[in-house]
Amino acid sequence: MLIRRHFLAASTALVLAPSVRAFAAPASPPPATLAHRPILVTVFLRGGMDSLGVVAPVDDRDYVADRPPEMRLLADGDKPALRLDGGPSGLDFRMHPEMSALRELYQDKRVALVHASGLDNGTRSHFGAQELIERGIANPDETAHVSGGWMARWLAATGSGQQPAFATISGVPDELANHSNTICAADLRGGMNLPGGKQALSVLNHLYGNGSGPIELATRRTLAGIALIDGPLRQPDGKVMPYKPAGDATYGDTEIGRSLEAVARVIRMDVNVRAFAVDMGGWDTHENQPPRLANLVGQLSRALAAFHTDLHDQMDRIVLVVMSEFGRRLRSNKSNGTDHGHAGLTIVSAPRIAGGRIHGTWPGLSSDRLDNAVDLAMTTDVRSILAELMMGPLNTPDAANGVFPRFVPKKVGLLA
Amino acid sequence: MAFEVDPRTLLNKLAFGPSDAELHSIAKMGADGWLAQQLNPPVEDDCAQRIASTHIHLKYSSKTPEAEVDEDRSLAVLAEPIEQHWKVVEKGLAGQERTFFRTAVACATTIRTVHSRWQLREVLVDFWHNHFNVNAVGDNLIAVALPTYDNQVIRRHALGNFRELLEAVAKSAAMQIYLNNRSSRGGAANENYARELFELHTLGRPAYLNALYNRWRDVPGALEGRPQGYIDQDVYEAARAFTGWSIEDGTGIGAGRRLPMTGKFIYVENWHDNYQKRTLATEFDPYQSPLADGRRVLDLVADHPATARYVCEKLCRRLVSDTPDAAVVAAAVKVWTEQRRKPDQIARTVETIARSEAFRRSTGTKVKRPLELYASFARSAGIAVAPTPGLLGELDGSGQRLFGWGPPTGHPDENDYWLSSAMMRRRWSLLLGLADDAWKAGGPQAALAVAEKAKTEQAAGAAYRQMLGTEAPPKVTTAIVEGMGLKPGMAFDSRKDALPLARRMLAYCAMTPAFQTR
Repeated sequence: MLIRRHFLAASTALVLAPSVRAFAAPASPPPATLAHRPILVTVFLRGGMDSLGVVAPVDDRDYVADRPPEMRLLADGDKPALRLDGGPSGLDFRMHPEMSALRELYQDKRVALVHASGLDNGTRSHFGAQELIERGIANPDETAHVSGGWMARWLAATGSGQQPAFATISGVPDELANHSNTICAADLRGGMNLPGGKQALSVLNHLYGNGSGPIELATRRTLAGIALIDGPLRQPDGKVMPYKPAGDATYGDTEIGRSLEAVARVIRMDVNVRAFAVDMGGWDTHENQPPRLANLVGQLSRALAAFHTDLHDQMDRIVLVVMSEFGRRLRSNKSNGTDHGHAGLTIVSAPRIAGGRIHGTWPGLSSDRLDNAVDLAMTTDVRSILAELMMGPLNTPDAANGVFPRFVPKKVGLLA
Repeated sequence: MAFEVDPRTLLNKLAFGPSDAELHSIAKMGADGWLAQQLNPPVEDDCAQRIASTHIHLKYSSKTPEAEVDEDRSLAVLAEPIEQHWKVVEKGLAGQERTFFRTAVACATTIRTVHSRWQLREVLVDFWHNHFNVNAVGDNLIAVALPTYDNQVIRRHALGNFRELLEAVAKSAAMQIYLNNRSSRGGAANENYARELFELHTLGRPAYLNALYNRWRDVPGALEGRPQGYIDQDVYEAARAFTGWSIEDGTGIGAGRRLPMTGKFIYVENWHDNYQKRTLATEFDPYQSPLADGRRVLDLVADHPATARYVCEKLCRRLVSDTPDAAVVAAAVKVWTEQRRKPDQIARTVETIARSEAFRRSTGTKVKRPLELYASFARSAGIAVAPTPGLLGELDGSGQRLFGWGPPTGHPDENDYWLSSAMMRRRWSLLLGLADDAWKAGGPQAALAVAEKAKTEQAAGAAYRQMLGTEAPPKVTTAIVEGMGLKPGMAFDSRKDALPLARRMLAYCAMTPAFQTR
């Protein structure tokens, strides 16, 4: 109940006092302090989330006909799916029963969903689709004139091209490709120290104080990242300070839990990191999907809720977008799994969001409405969602054109 | 044509780095002789003895005390056939019995990469393990299948024929489990294996033309029977072709009967979709003989020109540089294609790459991956590796978790990926730990000679010569000496801490760009 009160308090404040929000200020001079600059957090669900197993119209005839009960959301039974108001087409849209925490955020209108959203390209390749979405393009040949990841371009367009970004994975994700100042750390619970301590630091500084080869540059960047992040993590005795999330939020000892906790921790440090890329793997459920999907959506939902509780006083400047490379096939296979599909589900949390609604046009599930007669059709390009967030709560209205050149975004209506 | 190449480049690219012994043998037999030997290794594992004498502690509790295990388990079990390993599944033993096999194969890998004479084979084993990635950490049933996959599939064919390798992979328990083909059934086939077969194992993503064409006949060349690439329709049909390819994992096959529990490949006719198919513009008649549909798909993809381009380009990226020039790729493609019915197709292709001008000029083009950094340090610094869980834990955290990469792509093979801040920290901690023998897996013998140098800068110079094979630039020795809080000209061998300092010097030399790249 405590968690729920938090959400209510924060969302009430949002409704009653929009004019005091930093983002409500006109575009002119930048906010007075760094502390109020908007922050972008993206969560990429790797492997292709089965959006039709996560949010779906349980009374849709084709949905019922095309999937056996164990592979779809149900209106009744032991574990009925959670009812969602604000769904399109007058259908009974519901959410996976393991996602009650996220559903609370939705009901509190702090989170919006965009169904049938995704990539404007027919690829069913994980790696092809991920790369296109992360680079913010629709076709591979666009890399000829659009370089790097879309988050990197956003940072550059906002004048933060030299500022550090933070990724909770070992290697720089494509979203941040070309943003050389990206700090990578999967987990901050053990700190982000320099192996070898002072002696190693001294030798490395002597060896790499200058020099412009890739190893030298990587060394200097890494030492700078360690200096920025590790210092604030430590107590006077040098030990890593245990992290105490606000509101007794529990992230969970899972990949997504550890990652979002690390993000929250860095946001709390207030070291001017404005872009965070988070990954969560395991969504490629070709086989034995029901228990695996239940596990994944539960972890995701709880970690997202913990993030909102923990950063309750910061959410007025945080834009969080959860996406995946594609959804999955409407019809399941005989391995009790689903194969690669097309459009998916995007989850958005942002200040002034028109939450508690499923946005976008619902294309329907009859075979003539499906993409290639088998997969959920795409009606909202994920770039339209991102562009709208740039024009709104990210307070970077001029950035969208530069971030997605040659793309004309369509209005999604995400902003209240 | 004489093969003239810097021995250190040769050993950095076609081996896990130079060792004193290997440099000596190249000096004796020449690069030509060395390469000829490496391309044709004996079947026997020259590390078998060393591996069998390695023990890893295995401990777990159980409700029944007699089932508890607390023992040092020899890695000799790796040589047993899969039905022997599968007994841990059949008997329902603790999960630790399953994960042990992944640990064991990873430990054997830390031995072979450092100590095997047949270094080129081990380089190709690493390449194919990534090309045909499975995740034995994410699924402990794959761990049980891993020893056989490593030995009988990947290592056995590493320098052999691609079509044979492809079929061995397709039938392996490890791949059958990882990409779910074992549960694929006619009627609504599981497409996981078929999709990655096209995209990652053979034709490659550049040949995936789905965004351009919706119907098979629209793909250029299709009506002549030579489609330039593939689309989803090819994936669907290939998935049908592989229904019935499975493993003996105890699954029920109707009428109360079950498959045996051995982990061996089996074809189950009842599960196969027997009707006609069309893959890559080729018609398959209905009711073919057992395995014929799947084999036909393997023939088609193995022979496709896109496969030659895709796999050869990847080999060049591994052995030459991130951006190999078109000439070396074209030369490799030519040999690959001409030799595709030969038992040593892969060896001939690798030889062509090794003898190219691009290879000769490729010194330092690649950032070492953590396994290469580990093995090359051990080889240069004279570590007799006796793997421990601590060493394996460090490697697992390095970004290159052996046999534990999640997506079917295998570990990235581009420099930038390995230079993130998380990776850099792990590179340094790996080197410092090896130098300090933090994981009790064997200390660097080369430190002894370094510790005997009279002066600090002489010691740093000796460490550099040992690790890099050339004289140290003065500013590097000064940086190491001063960075360590010492002064040039200071006495060294008389210090009590000369040996630990000497070990650190080896690690710092290994942090230089010249050692971090290959």
